[in-house]
Amino acid sequence: MNWNGKDVESYKQQKEYIDTAIMPLAPVSFGAEMKEAASQYEFIQLLTMLLEKQFKGRTLLLPPFSYQSKKREEDKIAALNSWSEELREAEFKHIFYFTSDSGWKLVEDKLDGTLIWVPSVPLEHMEPSYKYSLIEEQAKQFINIIAHKWQQ
Amino acid sequence: MSKQPVSRRQFLNYTLMGVGGFMAAGMLMPMVRFAIDPVLAEGAAGEFQTTNQKVDELTSTPVRVDFSYEQQDAWYTSEVTETAWVYKDENGEVVALSPICKHLGCTVNWEGDNHKNQFYCPCHGGLYEKNGNNVPGTPPTAPLDKYPTKVKDGFLQLGKPEPQTIA
Ligand code: FES
Repeated sequence: MNWNGKDVESYKQQKEYIDTAIMPLAPVSFGAEMKEAASQYEFIQLLTMLLEKQFKGRTLLLPPFSYQSKKREEDKIAALNSWSEELREAEFKHIFYFTSDSGWKLVEDKLDGTLIWVPSVPLEHMEPSYKYSLIEEQAKQFINIIAHKWQQ
Repeated sequence: MSKQPVSRRQFLNYTLMGVGGFMAAGMLMPMVRFAIDPVLAEGAAGEFQTTNQKVDELTSTPVRVDFSYEQQDAWYTSEVTETAWVYKDENGEVVALSPICKHLGCTVNWEGDNHKNQFYCPCHGGLYEKNGNNVPGTPPTAPLDKYPTKVKDGFLQLGKPEPQTIA
C-alpha cells in the first residue's frame, strides 16, 4: 500500500493482512555530497516503489525518514528508533529500512528492523527502459529477502 | 476584541472559500472539455498496447510479458510498466491474465513456491488455477482479471484488463 488516502483506507480495513512497513532512509545535505545524496534517493525511491507494487497487499510504503547528513550518529539512531517503536505499537511485525547511506550499516545492530543497504547506481543519464530493467534486476533479490523474512 | 468588523474565523472562511473556488474551477474545466469533446475521452479507454511478445512463440506454459507505455494524469506524463501472464489454451487461443492478486493486490507468480500448475501469491498464500480461477479456501475471492488480446504483425497487443466471471 502507498501512503495515500485510498490505500490507507484499505489498510484500515485489512490491517491484519498488512503487517510489513517499508521505510526509505534519506540523508540530505547541501555540501559536497548533495548530488550523491539526491541521486541515491532517486534510486531508493524507484526501488521501493517497485517493491510496493510487487507486495502491495502486505506492505505499507511509508514516506522517507529524511535527516541531515551532518547530524550526530546517536541522534539519527534515536530518531529512527522512535519510529520503529511507533510502528511496533501500530502492530507492524516486519520493518524494512532501505538506504544507500553506508553510515547505517555500521550501527545496524542498534536498530529494530531489517536494514537493507543498497549501493546506488547513478540513473540520471539512463534510458528509461534500461533504468527500469536495472532496478527490476536489483528488486528481485529484495523480493526474495522479504518473502524469506515472512516465512521465518 | 469584540469590535472587529471581520472576525478571525470569518476571515479564514472567506479566504478558504476563495481558494476552494479556484480549485473547483480547476476541476470543472477538464470535465467540461470531456463533455464537449467525446473524441478526447475515447482515446483513453479501449487502447491496445503492443508488446515485444511474438504470438507464434507462445506455448501452453504461461510466460511473463512486460510492456510499457506513457500515461498522462493531471500532474505529469509517466512511463508505466504492466505485466501479464500469457499462454495458449487447449484450443490455441491466447490467454493473458493480469498478475494482480484479487485479494489485496500483490503480484502473483506462475508456479511460485512450488505450486504446480497454479498461480501463487506470496503475500497471503493466494492460489489460482491456470485459467485464473481462484482456489477456494485461499484469500482471493475472484478470478484474475483478463486482458483483451489482439495480434498485430505477429506481435501480441493487450488492452485494459477486465474482471472474469467464474466459468
Ligand atoms: S494479496 Fe494475494 S493473497 Fe493476499
